[in-house]
Amino acid sequence: MAILRRSDPFDKEGRGGVTGWMRDHHRVVREALYHVSARIITSLIVWLLVGIALALPAGLYLLQLNLADVGADWDGRPGLSVYFKVDAEAGAMPALAERLRAEAYVQEVEETSPVAALEAFNAHTGLSDALDLLENNPLPASLRAMLINGATVPDLERLAAIAESAPGVQEVVVEKTWLERVSDITTVVSRLSVVLALLFGIGALLVTATSVRLAIEARLEELKVQTLVGATERQLRRPFLYFGAIYGAGGALVALMLISMTLLVVETPLARLAGSYGASLEFAGFDPVFLLSMLATGSALGVVGALLAARQRLHELEVL
Amino acid sequence: MAHIEMHGVTKRFDSGQEALKEVDVSFEAASMCFLTGHSGAGKSTFLKLLLRLDTPTRGRILVNGINVADLKKSRLPFYRRNIGAVFQDHHLLSGRSVFDNVAVPLRVIGMREKDVGRRVRAALTRVGLLEKERLLPTHLSTGEQQRVGIARAVVNRPKILLADEPTGNLDPELSRDIMSIFEQFNQIGTTVIVASHDRELITSMGKRIIELSGGRVVKDLPGRSGMVVEEPFSEPGVEVG
Repeated sequence: MAILRRSDPFDKEGRGGVTGWMRDHHRVVREALYHVSARIITSLIVWLLVGIALALPAGLYLLQLNLADVGADWDGRPGLSVYFKVDAEAGAMPALAERLRAEAYVQEVEETSPVAALEAFNAHTGLSDALDLLENNPLPASLRAMLINGATVPDLERLAAIAESAPGVQEVVVEKTWLERVSDITTVVSRLSVVLALLFGIGALLVTATSVRLAIEARLEELKVQTLVGATERQLRRPFLYFGAIYGAGGALVALMLISMTLLVVETPLARLAGSYGASLEFAGFDPVFLLSMLATGSALGVVGALLAARQRLHELEVL
Repeated sequence: MAHIEMHGVTKRFDSGQEALKEVDVSFEAASMCFLTGHSGAGKSTFLKLLLRLDTPTRGRILVNGINVADLKKSRLPFYRRNIGAVFQDHHLLSGRSVFDNVAVPLRVIGMREKDVGRRVRAALTRVGLLEKERLLPTHLSTGEQQRVGIARAVVNRPKILLADEPTGNLDPELSRDIMSIFEQFNQIGTTVIVASHDRELITSMGKRIIELSGGRVVKDLPGRSGMVVEEPFSEPGVEVG
């Protein structure tokens, strides 16, 4: 019965289990590298295609990462202005100012009494004669609260809610334009990068799957012979999974180069733009963790693409 | 050693054509037999079913008592590792050297390269092609290509050796030489089944002959008892199966 006993493929004399398995992997890796280098033009095209597919979502991810930090750095920090009713109690403004100063994310609160407001109005407009005709000062008391670096839109909204609920308050004007814009842009970029990551990830997958499929077609006769002499499906698939990993990792390297080149090109104008808003440009995220993640993602996409192609084609394989 | 039995084996293709009809035949372990018959008689289908490249529509094929038609897909490679197959059109890899072609079965089972080298050279020595191990198959004659195919089939010391028209393109002298190689492997316990329509050649071998016609066994002629011949892999230091 020995002929049909299911046994480890490497259980015979002179063929160690794990050693034999590693030997096979070693041989397959060498063959895969030889295959890739022997068709270097094709390989370069595949790497470029995969690289472009990976570069865009990865670049957007970096952009989103950096935009999230931009709001904190911006000099035109957000704040809010609170206008009191003309007949509000005299103590309403100092009480609210005190309340707001107690909030951790409030950096500064400026109080403007009705008298100070009138003086400022006179100084700016030169209409003091006209105002003299009025019996009472028509300008309300007001205060302006400015937030610290790193405050978020929700912080600002919370602060506005406190002000609105305070006694004697007529109107609360929230000045959050930049922060809101940056936050909105970050959200758009974030969602866009997820969608593009999916689309371009599928693109990278299809590129490697197609390349591996072509590699399988080129080695069809060999696969048939290997099947005849008893190669398992895993053994048949193995070289193509390595192709996929090599194509994917190579594509990731190309993507990293493309991102680096893009950063080099846009670094100067970006620094100038950031400087005009009082922010310094320190592009974050392009670090060793990102590089390794890209390589891992590229390889994984390549392996999955290869797996799909190999499973489909080997399933259809007719030996004779 | 492998004992083979076929019971009521019928193979009908999707087109409705029946390649084999109710075939009942058995092969003793370590026996040698020729399958003969006209083109389309069912010889190749017979061998394909034994290789488990196809399954019978009806009937059972027992190898050492186990129905190979029932083998799970995951077990097939392990079954096929015990079978050497030789084809008329060789199925050699044109981009690989003679050495690498013969080494395929050994690399599939994960053998050490040192042992692969010894085994391959022993097999090539036996078929007289050692000096051509570095050449590509396309640089060899048809007869030499066939001998490379035989070396590949026997290099892993299979328990069963199947050959489909192995001498189809060869001259009589070369054909006899190749049959002699098969006979030597049979002498060390390999069950050998050769499909051939060369009646003169197979009659001269004195082995059992099964004649197929229209997918049925029409003749089953017993052979003369054989005699022990020299060990096919006689190179020193090479393990013998």
